[in-house]
Amino acid sequence: MKMNRRTMLASSAAAVSVLGTPALLKAAPKDYVIAASLPMTGPFATAGQLVSPIFKMIEVITNANGGIGGVPIRTTVDDSGYVPQNALANYQRSLATEENLVYYFGDSTGFMKLVAPELKGDNATLMGSTSFASELANPAENPYQYLSGPTYQDQFDILLQNIKAQGGTTVAFIYSNTEFGRDPLETGRKKAEELGIKVVLEEATKPQGADIPTHVTKLAQSGAEYCIMHGYVSSVWPQLIGGAKQFGLPTKFMGTFWGMEKLIADKVTAQAGPFLDGYSGVMPYRYFYDNADAPRYQAYAAFAKKAFAGTPLENYLPTWALEGLCSIEIALDAMRTTVEADKPLTADNLAEAVANIKDWDSGGFFGPKVSMNHNKMGVGRVYSYSTETKLFTPTSDWLTT
Amino acid sequence: MITGNLKSTYAADEQVFDNRNKKLFFAACILFLVGLGLFANDYVILMACRMGLMLIAVVGLNVVVGYTGQMSLGHAAFVAVGAYTTVVFYHLVGPYFPAGIMTILAFAVAIAVSAFVGLIVGLPSLRVKGLYLAVATLAANFIVIFLIEQDLFKPWTGGMVGTDTPTPNLFGWELDTKREMYAMITTMAVLMLLFVQNLLRTRIGRAFIAIRDRDYSAEIMGISLLRYKLLSFAISAGYCGAAGALWAFFFARILPEQFELTLSLQLVAALIVGGMGRTMGPVFGVIIILLVPELIKLGFGGLTGGDASMGKYRAPLQEIAFGLLIIAFLMFEPLGLVAITDRILRAMNRWPFAR
Repeated sequence: MKMNRRTMLASSAAAVSVLGTPALLKAAPKDYVIAASLPMTGPFATAGQLVSPIFKMIEVITNANGGIGGVPIRTTVDDSGYVPQNALANYQRSLATEENLVYYFGDSTGFMKLVAPELKGDNATLMGSTSFASELANPAENPYQYLSGPTYQDQFDILLQNIKAQGGTTVAFIYSNTEFGRDPLETGRKKAEELGIKVVLEEATKPQGADIPTHVTKLAQSGAEYCIMHGYVSSVWPQLIGGAKQFGLPTKFMGTFWGMEKLIADKVTAQAGPFLDGYSGVMPYRYFYDNADAPRYQAYAAFAKKAFAGTPLENYLPTWALEGLCSIEIALDAMRTTVEADKPLTADNLAEAVANIKDWDSGGFFGPKVSMNHNKMGVGRVYSYSTETKLFTPTSDWLTT
Repeated sequence: MITGNLKSTYAADEQVFDNRNKKLFFAACILFLVGLGLFANDYVILMACRMGLMLIAVVGLNVVVGYTGQMSLGHAAFVAVGAYTTVVFYHLVGPYFPAGIMTILAFAVAIAVSAFVGLIVGLPSLRVKGLYLAVATLAANFIVIFLIEQDLFKPWTGGMVGTDTPTPNLFGWELDTKREMYAMITTMAVLMLLFVQNLLRTRIGRAFIAIRDRDYSAEIMGISLLRYKLLSFAISAGYCGAAGALWAFFFARILPEQFELTLSLQLVAALIVGGMGRTMGPVFGVIIILLVPELIKLGFGGLTGGDASMGKYRAPLQEIAFGLLIIAFLMFEPLGLVAITDRILRAMNRWPFAR
């Protein structure tokens, strides 16, 4: 056959299409998978079951907006029972069965630590989690793991800054005798000393079923103006506050992220009376009802209204769910950046994109624009609970660490 | 059809595999394990390794509960002792020995230390039985975890945050992949299973069984309860220590919460489901305890297409299925899966004359 310009162009186009097809197929997978381990059973089943529906929500919303570079995302959730080995098995199963696993959401500090040394080569995946453990914000050792907010140590710092701003001079630390509870103690002591606040009591309690009268008596003896409680989720902290109020203590109580959920405060108020009035604490995110100028919150609210009708999530997403959503949104942002840069969604590329997040407009989660610094976002503000309005409202500006 | 096992010598009588079917079954198992190591994906290898680790611990528990008739709810403590001893041993003497022999040394030391702790925990068995002994051993679990978590020992154990574990090295061969660890764990599991099977044919094993069947009769016959009960606890704890050492080599990090009461209860549950006092009991028990929840997860995931919103239904279903399984075994087959397997094998051996 004689080769002229037209046949040459046609042959070239055919050759490119044939040779390029595998590359195109590889560049456009069927979907990107976001998998998670959540405690659907076990001690934190309440939190796990409240958080799990948000994965479907983010899948629908993201795919309605074109997915990641035109490729849809798909979410899967497995139960861990809050056992780190189970979560590890879930992760390994996802790795083995999902060809395009691009992000994994872990359910505990224990799991994140257990899996961290395994994240090498093909086993590496970008990971967020429910944990704000300070040890996880370490890009040198855990480049693939990040926190979608401040560490527990940062949260203590924010509270101590707030106590100082209010003229407080003494503080008590009451914490659960767990890794979770002990996490911020050492840096909390240093920060208090730096700010000129005296730590008059450090009291460890059981994470559940603590001996409330004994702890309250010690708190009374310490004469602390403020008491920071840390390492609890749904119990102990309300009982401690209730016990102190009965005792007539003037101490002001403060909590950290996991002790700041409106659903728990509302439930306690409904069952035991208005003693949580004035309880305050640090929260990295805006509460879900504070959705003015928060396009992401508004999108979630519109979805929740329809999809979660008749459930507790219909009008309000708990802070625990917001943490998961924020973590996934950060990952999605990193994916978009990576795809736009024409790079494959490998764990290394995604970790790099996450580490380089600067002045991120979170669409509602945080007040100001935030940046990823040492694989965490050290921003938060102090909120106070009102038993009358049943709302947590801000009592400080956004504080950074 | 096999109508009986002809044993014309004492050696034949002492054989572990005394008929053709048993030999074939053992060979098939070995072939299956080798095939799994060569062809299974990482997830299957992870599950197989978890089963291997648990199997060694349950075999150890079987020595004290199944063969000697002593109750224990604290065997997770021995697994913890084995795991942490391995890490501490590496910290302390690692720099003074070649890396190639450290794994074997650490493994041996972990077994020895766990056995010693087992001796101490076994002391109450000389005075109390049944539920009282169960509570006494339960205390061991809490005490060991409490000690591991203390700040005093934090430089070695990592305290509450756990500690990273060493990579095993066998004479220069670094076992840094799950598949290599699978080879090590399955080899150890098979060898330790065979060892305990042999142990029962010795004076020691028969003494254990005599104590289980009637301890004061055993004592009247000249069996020292002090010696054999403590020996039983030591061997049992040594097995758990071995499981702990391999656990430390397998997982890149160990945390105290991995060895809490839940693990002790899991070990006991596996033994009940599989069958106490039988060699294959722990094997079947471990398969059921670890595989059933995974199969339910996979089956449900297949049915719902991995829909995240269905997860809330799957989790309770899994718990219910698991609970029903335990109840069913306790009610209908208290001798465990091994008794069911026995009936099937007997029927096969005598077919067509028996069903």
